[in-house]
Amino acid sequence: MPTALISGASRGLGLGLAEVLLADHWLVHACCRNPEASERLKLLKTEAEGRLLVHTLDVLDHSSIEALASSLGGQPIDALLNVAGYYGTPGLTEPGGLQQFGNQDFDDWMKIYRTNVIGPMKMCEVFVENVAASKRKIMISLSSELGSIGENDLGKMYAYRASKAALNAIMKSMSIDLSEKGIVAVSLHPGWVRTDMGGPEAPCDVQTSVAGMKKVIDEISLKHSGKFMVYNGSEMGW
Amino acid sequence: MPSVLITGANRGLGLGLTQLYLADGWQVQACCRLPAEAVELQELLENSEDRLSVHLLDLENLQTVEAIKDTIGDNPIDVLLNVAGYYGPTIISEPGGLQIFGTTDYGVFEKTFHVNVIGPMKVCETFVENVAGSDQKKMVTISSIAGSIGENKSGKLYPYRASKVAVNAIMKSMSIELRDREIIAAPLHPGWVRTDMGGPLADIDAATSVSGIKNVIEGMTMAHSGRYLVYDGSELPW
Repeated sequence: MPTALISGASRGLGLGLAEVLLADHWLVHACCRNPEASERLKLLKTEAEGRLLVHTLDVLDHSSIEALASSLGGQPIDALLNVAGYYGTPGLTEPGGLQQFGNQDFDDWMKIYRTNVIGPMKMCEVFVENVAASKRKIMISLSSELGSIGENDLGKMYAYRASKAALNAIMKSMSIDLSEKGIVAVSLHPGWVRTDMGGPEAPCDVQTSVAGMKKVIDEISLKHSGKFMVYNGSEMGW
Repeated sequence: MPSVLITGANRGLGLGLTQLYLADGWQVQACCRLPAEAVELQELLENSEDRLSVHLLDLENLQTVEAIKDTIGDNPIDVLLNVAGYYGPTIISEPGGLQIFGTTDYGVFEKTFHVNVIGPMKVCETFVENVAGSDQKKMVTISSIAGSIGENKSGKLYPYRASKVAVNAIMKSMSIELRDREIIAAPLHPGWVRTDMGGPLADIDAATSVSGIKNVIEGMTMAHSGRYLVYDGSELPW
């Protein structure tokens, strides 16, 4: 039975990925900051026939990542999915949420970078042997089109763009450094999705995004490693 | 008389650029962490005919940016040049300096982001009116080829690559958002230079790099805004 470990699994895309992977008979380690607060995760667990294991994990708290690694021991992880992310406060679709020039909150910048870049880096470092011991050997970090410098024709969103571009950079380096272990490392743009982060105006629903990402996970191989993939199977420029 | 503000002006590329701009008759605002210990800058002061001012700037303490703004006031800055940067406690050519997967120092990761990304963002925000009030209206941040994801063939260098990709991302956003103010904004790769950061095995000497950088900046027009420029006049992919 293939195994996935998902950060940010209590809602949005993380929860959606847990659902589609469970439906395809994966074993899912669903990680989130406060499992008790996610009614949907609890409900999902009752339907999962023991294939859903819920863990407390905060990507800002590296000791919580190490604690989970200790409890999992040498269990293989076929797909390590870094989904937990943070746009910033206020959110993208809230007033003042566009992170316009002249209006930066640099304390929030550090939180955005710690969550979106340093967190995934730590996750990949901590779980690399579990991934290497699996059959599929996949590391995916959810990035964003906003992390494509080449595609940027709107400006703004400095902190978020910087974090997602930086995340792309580390996934590319991992694709090179971990290729001899047979590990596939990619960034994946999930689309602009109607989640708490994406807001109600986003063009794509969660089901479409996670179904597309599941197909990407199913079909991914070493030849994709180091690429900036998109949920619909296409590829994005840096 | 044109005016340039240079961060990291006490050594390496920043010092070389300070010397070059002074020799060309510019007014130079030279910024560094420890002005009293910047022997070369102090020597330059004596022969600068009042065209050189030295300021204390520590990019880990953003209040020092605002203090310089208070000193400079509304004086125009034709070229804002972010040179100050941080690689890590061990440079790339020293043992342990390659920032290898599995050995990441997260304190270094955060400091690198603060100095290389938040620092330039704060400097650009703080002095944008000075630049907008000048003749040439240029904002240049020294980046690195290590910040090109497309050119990454050797992996590693996680904190540094992430920071330079991130700073490329913010310069691109500035190029778009500040276009209607006719500000030209771009990251610039200085070459791999024999400085304290680049180490003794680097490709080119500082004189070659800084004369190239100055030439590229002189030739910059709105058409170059938002591009990833190189000291020799070429261009890099993101």
